[in-house]
Amino acid sequence: MKAKLLGLLAGAVFGFVIAWARVTDPDVIRRMLLLKEPDVFLLMGAAIGVGGVGVRLLRAVQFKALLTGERINWVSTPIHARHVAGSVMFGAGWSVACTCPGPVAAMIGQGHLAGIVAGAGLLSGIALKHRFDRRGSAPAPANVSQPAGHSTGPGL
Amino acid sequence: MLLERCPWYVAGPLLGLVLVGFRAALNKPFGALGGFIDIVEKKPLWSRLGVSGFVLIGMILGGAIYAGVTGTFQPTFSYGTTGGFLPTSPALMVAVLLLAGTVMGFGARLAGGCTSGHGLTGMSLGSSASIAATMTFFATAVVLANVFTWLTGAAR
Repeated sequence: MKAKLLGLLAGAVFGFVIAWARVTDPDVIRRMLLLKEPDVFLLMGAAIGVGGVGVRLLRAVQFKALLTGERINWVSTPIHARHVAGSVMFGAGWSVACTCPGPVAAMIGQGHLAGIVAGAGLLSGIALKHRFDRRGSAPAPANVSQPAGHSTGPGL
Repeated sequence: MLLERCPWYVAGPLLGLVLVGFRAALNKPFGALGGFIDIVEKKPLWSRLGVSGFVLIGMILGGAIYAGVTGTFQPTFSYGTTGGFLPTSPALMVAVLLLAGTVMGFGARLAGGCTSGHGLTGMSLGSSASIAATMTFFATAVVLANVFTWLTGAAR
């Protein structure tokens, strides 16, 4: 329960900040993709920088996770074809919708109801992928739902 | 202050801190996609939504709080037109957005992450798969957004 509340809080801060920074505005994403505005690139770079330094510090001091007690660590996932193939599809959809899963959620909260349509699309795409996996005889790779580079956790 | 767009050098580090805080508490990667997967997988049993489901609900909440405190909450179905790029007829717009969302959902599920999971979290961890995924979806989206803009004659 504590973990879920923490998830709620982290999500809320994230949603608030991306709404404040206009990342939930499809026009902003479109200007980024047309390389007319560097802000979102810089924003992501700054987040990666601060995040990267922060998690490495946690790992360096052998910090134990506050709620799970696990020592902070992760593994880097090697590149598979699915990372590239899936990302080509993701990029193609992104170029049209000019939004992605996080901003879709936050824009719905802001009252931008077309986000519900994009969100419904995301859900159906994920369901479709699950159906494809079930049709194949082999089960989906165990780490499919996991973001690359993480040792634990039920996917992103 | 909150009404004006948050500059990247404030928003980016704040998002970075969310990644670090989430890692410090749970030793887990932060991302939006997992919440959508959670919803697809536990559809009839909402009460069993996991941490990632709560992260997603938090993102919706965060957007709502931003809109609430800035007094900008005003439900609208308008998606902008992303610069004249999406069809203006509501039915067509819904169809295109739904299709783009589906392609994105399928692709992100296949790739194991989206802009937040691979693009922010995985990149901050230096995961090879996330670097490949992020470069792929950015390159695809930048090229296609320009191609579609050129093909449709939309305003840049």
